[in-house]
Amino acid sequence: MDIFLQQLVNGLTIGSIYALVALGYTMVYGVLKLINFAHGDLVALSAYIGLVIMMQLIGVVSSKAVIIIAVFIFTAIIISIFGVLLERMAYRPLRKAPRLSAVVSALGASLLIENGIMLIWGPMPKIFPASIVPNINWNVGGVYISLMQLLVLVISLILMIILYFFVNQTKLGAAMRASAIDQDAARLMGINVDKIIVTTFIIGSSLGSVGGLFIGMYYRGIYFNMGWIYGLNAFVAAIIGGIGNIPGAMLGGMLLGVFNAFISGYLSSSWALALTYVLLIVIMIFRPTGILGERVAEKV
Amino acid sequence: MLRKGLLGALALIVTLMFGIQAMAGGIIKIGVQAPITGKFASEGQSIDKAVRLIVKQYNEKGGILGKKIKVYTCDDEGQAQKAAVCARQLVDDGVIAVIGSYTSTCAEAAEPIYYRAGVLQTSDGTSDTLVKHGYWTFFRNSSPNSAEAAFTAEFFIKKQHYKRIAAISDYSTFSTDLTNAVVKDIKKLGGNIVYKGKITSGAQNFTPILTKIKSFNPDVIYFGGYYTDGGLIRAQMEQLGIKADFVGGDSNDNPEFIKLAGKAAVGAYLVNVPLPQMLPYDTAKKFLKAYKAAYHEMPASIWTLFNVDGLRAILYSIEQTKSTNTKKIAYYMHNKLKNFPGITGPVEWNKNGERVGSAYMAYRIGNDLKYHIVYRH
Repeated sequence: MDIFLQQLVNGLTIGSIYALVALGYTMVYGVLKLINFAHGDLVALSAYIGLVIMMQLIGVVSSKAVIIIAVFIFTAIIISIFGVLLERMAYRPLRKAPRLSAVVSALGASLLIENGIMLIWGPMPKIFPASIVPNINWNVGGVYISLMQLLVLVISLILMIILYFFVNQTKLGAAMRASAIDQDAARLMGINVDKIIVTTFIIGSSLGSVGGLFIGMYYRGIYFNMGWIYGLNAFVAAIIGGIGNIPGAMLGGMLLGVFNAFISGYLSSSWALALTYVLLIVIMIFRPTGILGERVAEKV
Repeated sequence: MLRKGLLGALALIVTLMFGIQAMAGGIIKIGVQAPITGKFASEGQSIDKAVRLIVKQYNEKGGILGKKIKVYTCDDEGQAQKAAVCARQLVDDGVIAVIGSYTSTCAEAAEPIYYRAGVLQTSDGTSDTLVKHGYWTFFRNSSPNSAEAAFTAEFFIKKQHYKRIAAISDYSTFSTDLTNAVVKDIKKLGGNIVYKGKITSGAQNFTPILTKIKSFNPDVIYFGGYYTDGGLIRAQMEQLGIKADFVGGDSNDNPEFIKLAGKAAVGAYLVNVPLPQMLPYDTAKKFLKAYKAAYHEMPASIWTLFNVDGLRAILYSIEQTKSTNTKKIAYYMHNKLKNFPGITGPVEWNKNGERVGSAYMAYRIGNDLKYHIVYRH
């Protein structure tokens, strides 16, 4: 039983990181019907930028909590700027173009960021300092959970709850939902759709940057091309949950993390990746729009 | 005229039959075949410098058998075609022994040429096939690839007495082959493998497989992959409260391993050939001091020192046999040379020219985050 619970904790930790990243895919898809393939690389970039800021602050600021909070805030701001620039330069000029052009542009942006990271920071892995989050481990009835894991779980959950209320309870959120359903109609209602799209990129990039920082602080080793593997997993998570649907991305991320953990734990880690795609295919067959995906009729 | 020619030819044949080719006028010729330029230039130059240093030391003491030693160097650029050219050139120069080459490929390309000419060859190449041709002229001065697995298995069973062993690799050929060989050798020694599995390199999250391994209750986890994954495995073992030891194969030996594992690095074991400055032998300390004094730098790597041991053993054997007949020297090296005090540990060879014992060592990472030798041959 404790093995089962331990795998659940393992899965939920990585799952909440997937969920944070998946939100970026799903929100952009919601308003633009575009897969932002560069999102994963923004996540990788955020880990690098976070590391640079952290190294600058260590030694200047003595309180670790202050350092961590500052790193999260500054990184989120910088990555949001990158997200907005990405939208301006890679996607907005192509908004009227066929959808394939935007996808190619997204892939190009992805390669640009990935190779840019490699040129600036080199191809060898960079490593986060070990002592920034105290190495505390609890043993709860045979299940081990660390302070860092707890932080990942709790902060992700809080961010997702805030996002959920933001989208469903605020005016800006309502405008966002309106733009997602029908941009022309939203414009007729006096909504500045361009501004909404920029807001979407800011929120998506910020959440992605939190995910990237979690990867750096939890696993400590970061690679210039790690955006691809995390991006792919998060993208699959977004599709499983129903792309364009915010609670769907959260559910999909958690589900994927836990599914992976159980497959690796009870079957074999060799099968984890393969069976992830089997899961994806099965869900697509029975629910083509994902678990929480909008009904097709609504789209037409 | 004709008679003189015949006599000369006869003399030549006689000389060849005795395998004495380099007795020309009071000097003994030694060849160096190494990549002086190209990708491995630093290694090749280091080997050449080291050989010349040893030879200088001998010559200052009056040479051997009353003769001075002269070094001939040929640059094989780390390429097989060039290696064959070098081999012919060095044979034409009349050397009796060749140090090199640095790469297995170049050593293997030159092997048959030296064999046909009866010239001794000693190389640090690690490819298992180097000693499979049955050439009496070839002596490997390092340990072959398969030695790491054999050493690791001995360390597990004879030194650490592990009872429940788990082994992990990634999907690369290198890692799978090494880990399979380790598992095979452990079983040969009667060890108990409770789990064998694979991870995806770069996946970063290894907690699921480690949680699974934990349920087998192992007393050690062996990882035959790279440090980028090994460091994380070690850190996540601690996070999951796994009390088992961690032993990493040679590719975990990187300063980044300790950075990735953080405090969890303490107590981890690594198996690898040592860095030059880590060699515990007096001969090693003396040689490194002389090398540093002569060239104001350290040798490029341990591979230079393996080659130096090959050279030293050959020179010693020439002294012992009082002969420059390569057949006699080779016989001595195959059969009589035992426990020669080398820089990289005791040197001796079996009948195939394979170095007996291995230079592999097991280190424990201590509280000071430095390596401490815990086991060696």
